[in-house]
Amino acid sequence: MSEQYHIPNISRESVLKYLGYMGQSITAELESCLDEQAQKCCEIAVPRGVTRLFTLVSNNGNRVALKDCDLVFESKSIAQHVKGAKSVGLLAVTLGAGIDRELKQLGYTSPLNQIVFDACATVLAEEAANAAEASLVAQGAAQSLFPNWRFSPGYGDFDITVQQRFLQVLDAPRSIGLTASVSSLLIPTKSVTALLGFFETPQPTRVSLCSECGCYDYCTIRKTGRTCRG
Amino acid sequence: MITALFVKPEGLAVDSMSVSPKTYVSARHVRLKDDYLARVFRGEEFLLFDGAMGTQLQAHGLKAGALPELLCITDPQVVTSIHSLYVQAGSQVVSTNTFGANAYKLGDKACVEDIFTAAVSCAKASGARYVAADIGPTGALLQPMGTMSFDEAYELFAQQVRAATRAGADMFIIETMADLLETKAAILAAKEQSDLPIFATMTFGEDGRTFLGTTPQVAATTLSALGADCIGANCSLGPADIAPLVEQMLPYANCPVMVQANAGLPHVENGATVYSVLPREYCEAVAHMVDAGVTVVGGCCGTSPEYISELRDILAQRTPRKWAYEKDLKKVFNKDDDPEGEGAPDLPRLVRSDFCVTSAQELVSLPMGFVGVIGERINPTGKKRMKEALRSGNYDFIMQEAINQTAAGAQILDVNAGLPEIDEKTSLVRMVTELQGIATCPLQIDSATPEALEAAIRLYPGKPIINSTNAKTEVLNTVVPLAKHYGCALVGLTIDENGIPQTAQERFAIAQKIVAATDAAQIPRQDIVIDCLAMAASTDQRAPHEILKAISLVKNGLSGVRTVLGVSNISFGLPYRELLNATFLSAAFAAGLDLAIINPLSQRYMDVVSSWRALSGEDAMSSSYIEIYAPREAREKAAAAQGVTGSALKENPQGTVSAGSDSSARETAGTPQDAAGLLRDYILTGRKDPVSQVVKTLLQDHDPLDIVNSMLIPALDTVGERFEKGVFFLPQLMASAEAAKAGFETIRENTTQSVSAAKGKFVLAVVQGDVHDIGKNIVKMLLENYGYEVIDLGRDVAPQTVVDAVIKHQAKLAGLSALMTTTIPAMEQTIALLHKEVPECKVVVGGAVLNPEYAAMVGADYYAKDASETVRIAAQVL
Repeated sequence: MSEQYHIPNISRESVLKYLGYMGQSITAELESCLDEQAQKCCEIAVPRGVTRLFTLVSNNGNRVALKDCDLVFESKSIAQHVKGAKSVGLLAVTLGAGIDRELKQLGYTSPLNQIVFDACATVLAEEAANAAEASLVAQGAAQSLFPNWRFSPGYGDFDITVQQRFLQVLDAPRSIGLTASVSSLLIPTKSVTALLGFFETPQPTRVSLCSECGCYDYCTIRKTGRTCRG
Repeated sequence: MITALFVKPEGLAVDSMSVSPKTYVSARHVRLKDDYLARVFRGEEFLLFDGAMGTQLQAHGLKAGALPELLCITDPQVVTSIHSLYVQAGSQVVSTNTFGANAYKLGDKACVEDIFTAAVSCAKASGARYVAADIGPTGALLQPMGTMSFDEAYELFAQQVRAATRAGADMFIIETMADLLETKAAILAAKEQSDLPIFATMTFGEDGRTFLGTTPQVAATTLSALGADCIGANCSLGPADIAPLVEQMLPYANCPVMVQANAGLPHVENGATVYSVLPREYCEAVAHMVDAGVTVVGGCCGTSPEYISELRDILAQRTPRKWAYEKDLKKVFNKDDDPEGEGAPDLPRLVRSDFCVTSAQELVSLPMGFVGVIGERINPTGKKRMKEALRSGNYDFIMQEAINQTAAGAQILDVNAGLPEIDEKTSLVRMVTELQGIATCPLQIDSATPEALEAAIRLYPGKPIINSTNAKTEVLNTVVPLAKHYGCALVGLTIDENGIPQTAQERFAIAQKIVAATDAAQIPRQDIVIDCLAMAASTDQRAPHEILKAISLVKNGLSGVRTVLGVSNISFGLPYRELLNATFLSAAFAAGLDLAIINPLSQRYMDVVSSWRALSGEDAMSSSYIEIYAPREAREKAAAAQGVTGSALKENPQGTVSAGSDSSARETAGTPQDAAGLLRDYILTGRKDPVSQVVKTLLQDHDPLDIVNSMLIPALDTVGERFEKGVFFLPQLMASAEAAKAGFETIRENTTQSVSAAKGKFVLAVVQGDVHDIGKNIVKMLLENYGYEVIDLGRDVAPQTVVDAVIKHQAKLAGLSALMTTTIPAMEQTIALLHKEVPECKVVVGGAVLNPEYAAMVGADYYAKDASETVRIAAQVL
């Protein structure tokens, strides 16, 4: 299902980390540049996502097939990632073409603003992916399934050339305006695709507290008095 | 450009106009299956399409991500059975199951021709009255956002159009489009490769825009101007949410309007996808749109035959509303005045008679009596830096001009690449393409060369103005059909075979000849803009009077036609030209001028425009005027009270004012030694704003080269070292680079001496298939600061283009960047081609996925881990 996410602000800390910040002194000018670009990024972005949970049909360690899904994942990394899973959740998110247009304009007017805006948009796209993940996790929870974590094309042997078909499975070009180029670039560029495994038992987690989880702000399970770990 | 050349009547650019004797495009003949369809296109009958195909096929077990189009071949019965159910429910038109049947999406799964043949035959087997060949988006984004070229998209559509026509379809339904340019490519393919009628719909989100930012008004204006026979909206939203968007289209569509809404929003219920709006509710919402003037309806995702049969009932109870231009309303009433005596006809839907042009994101819509500003600055005539930019292909300056003019209030930008020593067509096309990503203003495409004009308007995403035709028979015969075919507004210069006449009456006669030709081509009057041509008052003092008189003759004598004028020629040869131009501009507005081609960065001109709008009533309640000028008056009073004279007020075009020089610049009032220290400090701390002032101070007693070599460059070296050691991080490096750049700019602007050290030329590109250009931009900025001439080819650059640029500029070093593993092969190919064709040119590579080993593997001569290292390599090689 396609969704739109409201993400009101961008973490300064994450933006700085992305820019290679190591505790250097920040001038007032740079400070306001960071604020301005982050604010503009939130205004221009239209974070949209599409998610779908598929029942896992087979996983032989090299090849993962899903029910009602035309795409078969030929990847050891994916097979490993969803080993033992009942279902697999797919997600795609994008911040929209407005961000690319702004990036292009900044390339002509101020390369400084461009790199800062780019970092803000990257952080925001990750946030949108968190929001989409939270949505999938909630769908899984409704079926008493427990998630592991996001795995994206381009990592391990999960070849990036899968992008176009991955997007087709989610009907992403039509539903959120996200496409892949011949060279498998996601366009608009500030976009994320990923999949998660869903299991019958809680999975080892990378965070110890809910408040450390990227999905924290978008989680609907916590409000019911439970967590996605049970 | 023309206006600027007309100072001396004998030196006409028009004389050198290369007019091709052939007619570019012939008039379109549309083949209609029957007379009912003809009545549909006149707005006299309703037409009922079908509902969803995709969601129906999913109900039949179509897998996610599978190509539904293949079923036309593998399971035609299923496809035909869905069509048949729609026909039984009342659909007059069924749409073939070919939404994604283009070569890009089908890949090696099937060929386009086979799918269309099978799909049309499935549709025909249902017994439908009409079969519409369904054409959806290509599935890839077009340049400049994406990597697919306009021509590639066009060819994909053309293949579909030819296949559908051969297979016996009756019409095209181009639908669910989000990209205006892609829609244009599809419509042009249909117009040029077939004679069947075209229905075209775009899809909008709840924010009232497509994914690429197109509004319903922009879509309606552009698509109907292009010659789509019916336009509208489909998909994305339910009928109640789509209704306000369709209502925005209605006043801008000079053709029938259609709607195919979704059955609301999908959600999952017990594992099945269900839609939120039921047939009854759906049809009630559609009924309102029909009452508002929609005459072609159908359904989209989630709708079924049940919805269609309810729609049939809705239509049966109503009569279609025809449309009429506002200005023709009276005429229509007289004509339609019910000869049969069966009661008064329904009110027609009103179509605005405004002058309308669009970009992909913006509509400029001027009712009669409103005035518009066309920015004149993207034109090399008399502009040194613009000429340099066009020659070098370094478009930063041009893009900056576009941004500045838009910010200053230009509503339309004139774009001209007329320099004898460059390839005008290539440059014009590149500018128009690049500007799409930069300025949201509609463009006025300005060329005396029909080939360049056609190439640029063809891939312009919107409805542009063509500047221009004149009344020479050959030119009229060439340019008017272009305007008609591509759906453009058209400037007509009052020139004919005998040149520019002196009197108003003669100019009016020429305008009449032009308008006769555009009337014959059925271009609406409001799309025609006559330029009565400003001539220098210094050589003929009667000229201003005759021009003004000509404007009012055109406005009064040629109903609906607009006028345009490049104002500044009037003052040629006289001092203080801005004053004369501004006065003449006021007079021209009073005479009826609609569009002024001016420099919007001139506050004086924009003052005339704003004040005229208040006086003419365009600016209702003078609210914009008050918004700009009340604070200005307050500021000036306050400044006067503080003893600052009016002339010390620096005002930028947006109307914000800063008094005198800023505080940081005041610090520089001291000795030059202080200034040198300050300059270094500003660069090291990355403060660009005060740099210009301090450099100006330094220029008073320093040689420009001395400032470069003993101040700017050493400061940059320090910045580089600090970055290297991790004392600075990337934004600090960039802030310092921008501050230094401001210094170089100031020196360039204030000296005649060449200060570029001319260290050598560096060709820079992001490889084909890749659109990530941030790294490239950082490298470029640093290299330029160090005095290298960078030939920036942009992103997604083909190997041959890099080679051609290296040869043309005799560059000794080329830099290539790639961010994705998938684009590394393109990098390898580019390097191989460079080494083969220009072995003397070294190649340095960089980008996120590269490392020294990888760089060596793809054949690069050098690997640079960051921009600073690229500068060091450049110093070594060049």
